[in-house]
Amino acid sequence: MNNVYYITEKDFQDFIDRLTNDAEVFFPFEKSPGPRKEKDYFYQKISPGACLKFNPYRTIEPLRTFFVSAYDKLAHYFTDKKEVLVDPKKKTIIFGVKSCDLVEQKVQDFVFLEGVDVDTAYKIKRENTILVSGDCTDFKEVCHCLAWEVLPYPQDGFDLNISPLNEGFLVEVGSGKGQGLVDAYKGLFSIAKDTQIAARKAKRDGLIDRLKRHLLPQNLVKYTDVQRLVKEGYNLDTWKQFMQTCVECGGCNFACGTCHCFLLADRKEDKLNSKVRLWDSCLYANFARVAGGANPLKLRAQRLRNRFLKKFDFFVDNMGKPACCGCGRCIEVCPGKIDIREVLKDLEKKLSCKK
Amino acid sequence: MKNIYQPIEAIVEDIIVETPAIKTFALRTREPFSFKTGQFIELTVPGVGEAPFTPSSDPNIKDKIDVTIMNVGRVTSILHGIERNSSVGIRGPYGRGYPLESFYGKDVVIVGGGVGLAPLRSLLFSLFGQIDKYNKVILRYGARSPKDIVYKDAIPEWSRRKKVDVVVTVDVGESGWAGNVGLVTTIIKDLPVNLKNAVAVVCGPPIMMKFVTLKLLDEGFAPKDIYLSMEKNMSCGLGKCGHCRIGRFYACKDGPVFTYDELKDIPEIWD
Repeated sequence: MNNVYYITEKDFQDFIDRLTNDAEVFFPFEKSPGPRKEKDYFYQKISPGACLKFNPYRTIEPLRTFFVSAYDKLAHYFTDKKEVLVDPKKKTIIFGVKSCDLVEQKVQDFVFLEGVDVDTAYKIKRENTILVSGDCTDFKEVCHCLAWEVLPYPQDGFDLNISPLNEGFLVEVGSGKGQGLVDAYKGLFSIAKDTQIAARKAKRDGLIDRLKRHLLPQNLVKYTDVQRLVKEGYNLDTWKQFMQTCVECGGCNFACGTCHCFLLADRKEDKLNSKVRLWDSCLYANFARVAGGANPLKLRAQRLRNRFLKKFDFFVDNMGKPACCGCGRCIEVCPGKIDIREVLKDLEKKLSCKK
Repeated sequence: MKNIYQPIEAIVEDIIVETPAIKTFALRTREPFSFKTGQFIELTVPGVGEAPFTPSSDPNIKDKIDVTIMNVGRVTSILHGIERNSSVGIRGPYGRGYPLESFYGKDVVIVGGGVGLAPLRSLLFSLFGQIDKYNKVILRYGARSPKDIVYKDAIPEWSRRKKVDVVVTVDVGESGWAGNVGLVTTIIKDLPVNLKNAVAVVCGPPIMMKFVTLKLLDEGFAPKDIYLSMEKNMSCGLGKCGHCRIGRFYACKDGPVFTYDELKDIPEIWD
């Protein structure tokens, strides 16, 4: 059965306006060019009538920020006062999500929904959010999803996926929630024709070609080699060398869509005790320190190496996949110009010299 | 709906001063609470912070747990200042404790260093409770000096028990101390055990665990028969916050008890 629909630009605008009636709707908005002369996109909550423009590539902030904020109250304790920490009725619809975001969110789901126990607040937010992704129609200089065998258009994990086509969009249904939306606004959608789906494929293939040409001269390491590289490169000077320009700002962690580490802290406000969660960074000096002062990640180089071991060794062993999909956010954000692509290439180069 | 970050309340019923830097807190929980020996809890000072500890009491005693705490950091120094009837929070229990069933019928060697005897006391109580199930229990304990020995009153009682063999040493003696002087590694030589049917359980500061493990290997213990309680900064206790990674494991959910065999190929485990 064909689960792809067509909607005109005008009807699309109408569709989104109507969605704002019973959900908070977020859509990426353009910001003037940054230092790289590329346009940046940020999610913004929209009201009806907002002038929407399809974002050609991912936003600056990772998708996970909708589910785990920089500061979240997680629990109140030893009190009868009942403050609602997560509103179970709040519906959110996020447009402009890209393929890399969906792959990254799977890592977050693995952490917060699986394992020993489920993070209920995360689960509620996740269930109450509809993800409307879109094909990439362009890429940033730092984008290198293909090197991680992630395609620049979503494969799964979306509720609806949107592909610009002529004066409208093809809308692919990826879940029951997505189907529900289409069904609720049936009049706006028509079943996509085979020729339209073929046109979508041609556009997708065209972008992949362009991205391949962009990546080819970069000689990026092979996706299947990364675990070996970080393990065999454990004692190389790569870590120390690349760490020289790190200012320990934690930006790479906070911009990353797969990073998930957090601090649990306690707060007292108006006699109300609460557990709060704050993002943490493995580049911070105290990340692994224990009471008494012992610190297994005392050295800066150890901390950079730990970041790579976590992404490319730990997650491969535990989840079957590395925790990176080449969104390039960490490269973009780093004031020290530490480039994950270059770190991996350096490991590869030095290891092949040793042989 | 269940909130995994929600602590339950416990009241400090008693505080026992073990050494100048170590106190045992007897806690009574307001809700049913139980743990398996070797598992750990997160203990909250309301509104201030929390830290991980392995209970030192008999896991068969419900609703009351002892936690033996050394004053070494921010949370522990505040805990050392609290008084009886104070309210604290508990989350947990977390992780994989000691696999008692796989100790059945065996010689169980327990090697503790300093406040590392705390989780081992809980293990000892578990073993004593079903002593028929084990061949013998051998405790080797080292403290920095005689005044740093924890559970001073209990140790002589343990050593009088049937099938239990206890030796204590101190790194540095003092006047009036007639016992052993020397590092704990000096009292685990030629242990009276059948190596083919023995396990060793080690808990103490990382440097002590390292040298005890090396010594036990030297004495002929197999890596799979050496059980280590790893000290990392477990924060959430649930494998989510990311702080306590050891290779492909998290100490909080895959440990805190690991066999040396599981860890031996991971670099820098003792740091």
